[in-house]
Amino acid sequence: MLVLSRRVGESVLIGDDVTVTVLDVRGDVIRIGIDAPRSVSVHRAELLQELADSNQESASPSRDAVESLAEALRQRR
Amino acid sequence: MMTATAPSLDRAAREDVSMLTFVHPLLGFPQDVEYGLVEIEKGSPLSRLQSAHSESTNFLVVPAATFFPDYAPVVDDDVVADLGIESTEDVLVLLVVHAGADLASTTVNLRAPLLVNTANLKAAQVILDDVNLSTTAPLVA
Repeated sequence: MLVLSRRVGESVLIGDDVTVTVLDVRGDVIRIGIDAPRSVSVHRAELLQELADSNQESASPSRDAVESLAEALRQRR
Repeated sequence: MMTATAPSLDRAAREDVSMLTFVHPLLGFPQDVEYGLVEIEKGSPLSRLQSAHSESTNFLVVPAATFFPDYAPVVDDDVVADLGIESTEDVLVLLVVHAGADLASTTVNLRAPLLVNTANLKAAQVILDDVNLSTTAPLVA
């Protein structure tokens, strides 16, 4: 990992298209501005982890679970 | 003795399988790019998304429209380009289902739906910006 120190108002350029700027610091919260083309996705790390976990939990349901869900939905029709 | 000429059940089932190519794989499953999509049973809103790469990797999905008629995910231009979408009518929105112990505890992920371009069978799991969309929304009210 490349480690840099920045003051408020200073920026870091990543690749040709991404600029990260430190906007302000309040206590232990740092506000970061990210300037990137829409083709580059930008997401909080914990959101991506949450979504991966969610997929993981949903993956490969048991045959019983699938059967009873299918049955319950049949009855709703 | 008659030679069977009718397609076997296996083949008939396979013919009802749509093979999707995920240009953005499901999060946490980067190796699984090709999936077969097949109805659990005829007439059921439930389908199975079965990874071609890994037999043990599969997901239950439902069409969003069936259970969430007002759900209208905003799709980025980049996703439109990546999936080669030419008409919104070609877009099928599927939700990953987390099968609970019963229907009441079964949830879906509204925050990261699966978008399928039915015209070319390209698909993607898309992360929506709306923080109010739950990853564990009840399937039924």
